[in-house]
Amino acid sequence: MATLGDQASSRFDALPPPPMSVGVAGWVRGNLFGSWHNGALTVASVIAIGLALWFGAGWVFGTANWSVIGELGGRFIIGQYNTEGACPGQNCFWRPQVGLLLATMLFGMAWGYAGGGVVKRAALVVAGVSAAMALLPYELDRMGMDVRLLLVANVPAVFAGMALGRYTPLGTPRWIAIVGVASFVLTLVLISGLPGVPGLQPVSVTSWGGLMLNLLLATCGITLSLPLGIALALGRRSQLPVVKMLCVAFIEVFRGVPLITLLFMSQVVVPLAFPQDFPLNSVFRAAIIITLFSAAYMAENVRGGLQALHPGQAEAARALGLHGWQITLLISLPQALRNVIPAIAGQFIGLFKDTSLVYIIGMLDVVEIGRAFILGNPEYLESARELFVFVGIVFWIFTYSMSYISRRVEEHMGVGKR
Amino acid sequence: MAISENETTTDDMIICRDVHQWFGSYHALRGVSTTVKRGEVVVIFGPSGSGKSTFIKTINRLEEHQRGDIIVDGIELTKDIRNIESIRREVGMVFQSFNLFPHLTVLDNITLAPIRVRHRPRHEAEDAAMGLLERVGIPEQAAKYPAQLSGGQQQRVAIARALAMQPKIMLFDEPTSALDPEMIKEVLDVMRELAASGMTMIVVTHELGFATEVSDRMIMFDQGNIVEEGAPDQIFNNPQQERTKLFLSQIL
Repeated sequence: MATLGDQASSRFDALPPPPMSVGVAGWVRGNLFGSWHNGALTVASVIAIGLALWFGAGWVFGTANWSVIGELGGRFIIGQYNTEGACPGQNCFWRPQVGLLLATMLFGMAWGYAGGGVVKRAALVVAGVSAAMALLPYELDRMGMDVRLLLVANVPAVFAGMALGRYTPLGTPRWIAIVGVASFVLTLVLISGLPGVPGLQPVSVTSWGGLMLNLLLATCGITLSLPLGIALALGRRSQLPVVKMLCVAFIEVFRGVPLITLLFMSQVVVPLAFPQDFPLNSVFRAAIIITLFSAAYMAENVRGGLQALHPGQAEAARALGLHGWQITLLISLPQALRNVIPAIAGQFIGLFKDTSLVYIIGMLDVVEIGRAFILGNPEYLESARELFVFVGIVFWIFTYSMSYISRRVEEHMGVGKR
Repeated sequence: MAISENETTTDDMIICRDVHQWFGSYHALRGVSTTVKRGEVVVIFGPSGSGKSTFIKTINRLEEHQRGDIIVDGIELTKDIRNIESIRREVGMVFQSFNLFPHLTVLDNITLAPIRVRHRPRHEAEDAAMGLLERVGIPEQAAKYPAQLSGGQQQRVAIARALAMQPKIMLFDEPTSALDPEMIKEVLDVMRELAASGMTMIVVTHELGFATEVSDRMIMFDQGNIVEEGAPDQIFNNPQQERTKLFLSQIL
């Protein structure tokens, strides 16, 4: 087998790495017991983690009383929405659930259009998390249609959406956007109800709550604050002094005031911007404030991305004869946004968690509904710990899904990145 | 607007008269006057900070001159954005740092301007782009992203991108200064071929071999103005100015 070429290169043959630097033993030795104080730290950490796991598992599987989750049941998802007071004589649980099905189907359509990759993962995560909620114990006394069935239906919904996106003319970005806006409006109509339509009796926004409220506010905030933030970032870099000044003023005001203060103000100040008889409810006002607050931060994230671009990029684009707007939309923004995906994802995660601050203006979001339940049912006072651990896990599942998707987007967009 | 016909011959591609440019209070160009004829290859050289790059960037208005006239292919550069855009369509530019768009594939880098500025159909632009990639010798790289290419390959893509707009003039701003020695040749070969095809070229470079072999005229820049210009033979063998002699002795 040996040829002249092999012999010629034999002086530079690759040698195996020195022993003890590879394999499990090498890794343990190098990283855990590299020196005597590293070894001591390792032993101490193992003992601490072991004790925490031991007592943690003992509580989770032994002493903890998880029945409180079952008692809270469906209220955790929709708050007081389906109570006798809010929805007398009817089962209204299906209305927000149809909204969720529409959202899942929309992700499916985007998957069908994109054909896989990160969009597919996002769609499957949405369907999976929605369907997983069916595993929770619910009080089933007021439910005609089985709540679990409609939650599990998110799985067929995502595949139906995928088929729509792949095999029908609806699979274009324009149609997906149209269906998206239509679904969101339809969801709001379904949830708030239409006077005079049988089965769709109006439900006051004061009884909207639970995870539904957090998701509505977050969806609104996420979809609107990104474009608004981009517009503000571009405005702040504008050559026109008035535009620039207005954008700077907006960003600095909304970034400089705590969200809680803004939410309080929203109940008093925001109505001033609309006509007297405008049907502006408290959820809508909170959504506006959360969106504007997030947009101010988003603008600074995007501006950071724009500042970091090499000036040669715009120069090359100008030399090719592209106009100012073409350069912004085709060259600067795509690169700037790609570079700040981690910051944008962090912003979205923060926004989702911040939606629970609406408790401050009397709304029963997923955290507050739990607190209200404990206060209203003193026999469960002992179970507050279990309840809030559960709420924490729910938040974590959502935020981790967002973080996971953002990392996949980063990988996807990072192709050929410097 | 365009100056009258009798003032210029159709052979003059670029006319510069007493061009001045300031960066803030720094006087970067101090009255540059020269004319470049159709098909001529001009090499500009000189010490760094002498205004070479600034000068060629005024020709497609990447830098704005504040005094004097620049007339490109019969169109005078003024503040009028339509004149600037029509000149930019005629003038291709290649940069020292390539400035390819990292978020677009090689093919998309090349077709972007023909599609968006010249409004050519995508398939037509892509066919033309593949032809240009053949010409610069890397058709197999079309689907890759710039960062996956070597420096020499990136610069050849940048040349193809500029050529895709079918320019009448090509400006090169130190096209090989950022390249490893073994990659300089592949870029210079493409430029040689371009010069042989009759393209009007202005090249800022210190590749004096390229200058001797390819250029019709060399221009020595110092302190924001032309110190001396002439055929390569004359510049190398019989420079008239002390400054030119000194500079050549330092770099040769």
